[in-house]
Order: sequence, then structure tokens, then C-alpha cells
Amino acid sequence: MNEIIIARNLSKTLGNVKAVSSVSLDVKKGEFLAIQGSSGSGKTTLLSLLSGLDKTDSGEIKFVGEDITSMNEDDLALFRRKNVGIVFQYYNLIPTLNVLENIALPLFPESSSKEEMFEKATHAAESVGLAHRLNHYPNELSGGEQQRVAIARALINEPKVIFADEPTGNLDTETGRMIVDLLKSLNKEKGLTIVMVTHDDGLAKEADKLIKIKDGVVTNE
Amino acid sequence: MIGYALKELRKRNRKYLLNILVIGLVVVLLITLNSLGIAFKEASRLPFENIHSSIIVQRNGNVPENTSGAVTPCSLAPIKSEYLSQINKIDGVKGMSYGLFLWVFDKDSFKRTLGVNWNDDRGKIIGSELIEGSLPQSDTDALAEREYAQQHGLKLDQKVKVSGTDFTISGIVETSGKDVVSSDVYVNLSSAQSLAYNSKNLQDTEKFNRNDINIIFVDADQTKVKEVTDNLKALFSSPTSNGGKTPTGQTTGAYSIYTPESFESQISSLFLMSDRLILTVSLVALIGAVLIVIKSMSHTLMERRKEFGIMKAVGFRSKDIQREVAAETLLQAIIGYSLGVAMSLVAIFALAKTTVSIAIPWEMSPYPHFLTSNPNLIAPVQTYPFPIKFEAVYSAEVLIAVFALSLLTVLVLMRYINGLNAMEVLRYE
Repeated sequence: MNEIIIARNLSKTLGNVKAVSSVSLDVKKGEFLAIQGSSGSGKTTLLSLLSGLDKTDSGEIKFVGEDITSMNEDDLALFRRKNVGIVFQYYNLIPTLNVLENIALPLFPESSSKEEMFEKATHAAESVGLAHRLNHYPNELSGGEQQRVAIARALINEPKVIFADEPTGNLDTETGRMIVDLLKSLNKEKGLTIVMVTHDDGLAKEADKLIKIKDGVVTNE
Repeated sequence: MIGYALKELRKRNRKYLLNILVIGLVVVLLITLNSLGIAFKEASRLPFENIHSSIIVQRNGNVPENTSGAVTPCSLAPIKSEYLSQINKIDGVKGMSYGLFLWVFDKDSFKRTLGVNWNDDRGKIIGSELIEGSLPQSDTDALAEREYAQQHGLKLDQKVKVSGTDFTISGIVETSGKDVVSSDVYVNLSSAQSLAYNSKNLQDTEKFNRNDINIIFVDADQTKVKEVTDNLKALFSSPTSNGGKTPTGQTTGAYSIYTPESFESQISSLFLMSDRLILTVSLVALIGAVLIVIKSMSHTLMERRKEFGIMKAVGFRSKDIQREVAAETLLQAIIGYSLGVAMSLVAIFALAKTTVSIAIPWEMSPYPHFLTSNPNLIAPVQTYPFPIKFEAVYSAEVLIAVFALSLLTVLVLMRYINGLNAMEVLRYE
């Protein structure tokens, strides 16, 4: 497999805390990578650096050969729109938009037609089993359904990598299981590269590869 | 983007309602204030519109020694007819009418008598008010005003004595309350000049030449009223003053030149708004509205921090979010403006149903104080439909101002959006 992400010597300080310290790792295309650590270990910060959500203090990240650490805010936004999908622990849906619109959100700034945009969103909703909830609003959905909307939103731009930050952290065990199964099926059936952050040992074991992090430092690879 | 903005406004309507109302109220204030200002300026011209003139020239004179025969009121002293040709030469003068207004103290009654040139505009206007009979065909014919004729039982073909001369009533006119200089009896100008010339009382009070007149109505090009007025003031700037004052405080011998502006002080002070005052109130309202909208929008944006963080996380650039906020702000401006225009139309429609009363200065419609039991005759009040209308061009200017200020609001808010870091927002919210 080819490396889709090559990260070298990443460091990030938040306030006075060194959240990530000299982390280097590779993510291969089609890989399901889990980053595991306890609360405050720096795993979410590492994920935000790898996904281009946040900028490193030092180090280098190459995403399909492109150095994203030198990009400005707007270039990073465009990079995220075209290359990555992000799934958050708290879903982060927009309450005034319905399911279809929330899924289509990353396409809003594009100049594509409304019909084309909603056709893609409908297709993404179908792929996560939400075709029957398109006109519902987030407050009318269960936690699992909201997370599936977030996954569909992450899929709509056909990203190269999906980053999932504690995707089951706010769900009950059974629903969490379903979400992990969904991510795994996307990985196996569509060959999507997935980087998932979790504190859960059980979930971490579902990944092809596990990286453990403690106090901002990778303790195994 | 517009679809998203519309949805935001619909879903968060309570938050945006204040902005829309503020914009609407400012638009109402601006449009209505401006329309009121224009309407009252228009209203001040109405007494002149009735006489188809823009400027009236009179001369102040002396008070008669006694009340007998024909005299000129102190606000209407004789003016030499030579001035007429000079007025005609002034650039901007489209036409001119003139007359001789007399107080006639006869033994049977007091009569306001106006000598009229029936061929000029003024004469034609009086003639158009004929309700019975015909215009004077000779120097011994006269028209009687309807109310005066009723009070004194005058009918067509009856004789009426004016300063010792018999006139035959050839017609009845209805001019009361329609004119700044209304009279009881209307005769040929030459007849009035003869009455004046032969009046010992008048000759003792003022020197009257046979062709003198005492009121001139100048019809000026509307765009040149000021220039014509200035030229008339220059022409009549050398009064043969004896240093005295008329009972109403005017300098004896000096000329009075009345224009529509002369009536502005007659209109209720509530509506006497200068352009500068309107501009000041408008500016204060606009600045107030901008501050309220900026504060309200900033508050809303703070509440939507997480939403903007999510948008940035999924790939919105700062300018994509700015476009979204701009669309929302402009939509509020459009809705607020439309609301304001609708409310202005209702307000202007209601105001157009009202009337405006203008008191005609005594000098322009003189009546002896000592003869009347009706105070309205001393300062007759004329009532007109209030000439207010919706000013479409000004409304378009207000629309441009509202758009410009909305863009200013967006510019102020942009700094906030630019400084927003997706991860920081999502980390802490």
C-alpha cells in the first residue's frame, strides 16, 4: 500500500501544555488506523493536525505528497473540502438545516447546481441508511442517526481520508457498534482510508493498525 | 447561498426581527420626513398657485386721515405704471398681471374694490369664477362678489354706488376664500384708477397718478423664481421712504415682495423643517440603525460561532462564510426596506387625507380692522388638501443608503469571521 499521509516530528502546544510532541507516523491508502489514548493524551490534537483542521507548531505533514503545513487558512479549508471528511464526537450538525442540507453542507460553497448537490447528498444519505430521514432536523434524530448524518456529510466530497474523532463517544454501546461497523464497511467495501481516534480498547482493536499516544508522545507503532 | 440565508432568517426569525424592524422604521422615518418637508414647501406655494403667480409686488404707504371715499390700504400704496415694462424685461418673467385695490368708504357700506385688467391672467381667473351674468362691458359695469351681493341684496342689473359713482352689476362672481386678494366689487382697471385719481382723501394720503396701480402679480419660470425675486428686489430697492411705519410695522414707502417662502412661516411650526434639520435627523437615524444592526448581528454571530466553526471544518473559506453573512444581512435590508416602504405608503396615504391651513397675511388681503366683527376677514385662513406624495426617487436613494450601510455592517463583521479558528471553536464549544 502507498502512504497517503506522512507526518514527521509534529509538535503542538496548547496554552502551556505540549499536546503533541515530536510525533511521526505514516498512514497508508485504504488503511483503518486507530489512535488510542486516554483523555488529555493529545490524540484529538494529533487528529486535527493530520486532517488540516489545525496548524502544527513544528514538523511536516505530506498528504498525497503535498505539504499541508505550509498552507494558509483558506488553502487548508479548500484542502479539507476536497480531500478529507471529518466525523466529530458531538456530530456537529447545523440545527437550522435538515438532514439533506446538513449532508450537502460542504458543497454549498461550490458552484454546482442545487439539483446536483442534493442528488449527491441523497446518495450519501442512502449509503448510511438515512434515505427515509432526509427532511428531518437534527433535534428530531437519535444520536446514532445524527452520527450517520455526520458520516454522510464526511462522504459527500468523496474524500481520500475520513478522520473520526471518538465517533462512538456519545453513543450507547449498541449504536456505537453500528457506527464502527459502518466505518469498517466503508473501509473494506469502498477502500476508504480511515483514521479514528478512540479511548476504547475494544474499538481500537477493530482497526488494521493501532497507535497509542500518551502525554502527546506515541508510545507504540 | 441565498437559499441558506433565507432558511437562516426563517429559522431564527426572532433574532432577525429586531434588525428588520429597525431598518423598516428608519426607512419610514427617512421617506416620511422627506415627503413632509417637500409637502410643506409645496403647501406654501398653494396660495400662489390659485392666482397663477409666483411673486407679488406691493408697496407700503400711509394710513388715510379719515374713512371717507376711496383710499388705498397702507399695505397697497400706489406704484407707478412705468415699473411694469421694466419687470417685463427681467429674465425668467413669463407673464404679469396687475390691479388697483381700493377701500371705498361709502355712506351705505364699506366696499373692497378691485380694478382689474380682464385680459391678463389675473382678470381671466376672476372671470372664470363668474356664476351669473357677464364680465363688465363698459367702465360703468361691475361684478359683485356672491357673499357681498347676498348681504346687500344686490342682483344683476342693479346699481351699486362706489365712491359716488354708479355702477351696474353685470355679473356675480364667487371668489371668497379662493384668492389671496379677494374683493367685494370688481370693476375695470381704468374705472378704479378714475375713482382713485378723483378721491381727495386718497390724494391727500398718497400722490396718485392716473395710471398708477398698487398690486403686481409676477408669473416667473419656476426654476428662476429666486433670480427674478432678486432682480425685483434690486428694481424696487429705493423706497421714497418718509421714515414712518405702517400699523403692521412695515416701513412706509418700501416695497414688499412676497414669494411662496413668505407663507412658510404661516404653516404650523411642527412642520417647519429645514433641509438641514431633516438631514440631521436622517443621519442620526441612519447611524443609530447601523449601530443597532451591527450590535445585533455581532451578538447573533457570537451565538453562531460553533456553526461557523463547523462550516470552516467542512471546507468553507472565510470568504465563503462572509458571503453567507452578507447574503443574510442584505436579505434583512431588503425585507426591512420593503416593510418601511409599505409603512411609508400607508403613512403618506393617511397624511394625504388631511388638510393644511394657511393664514394669508393681512398685507396681502387687507381689510379694515375697525369694520369687521369677523376676525377671519383680517387674516383669512385658506385650507388646502395636504399636498404630500410618495417620493419615488428619494425612496430609491434610501434603498441605496440601506444597501451601502448593510455592506458597511458586513465589512465590520468580516473581521470577526476572519479571526475565527475552526478547531478552537469546536474544541471549546
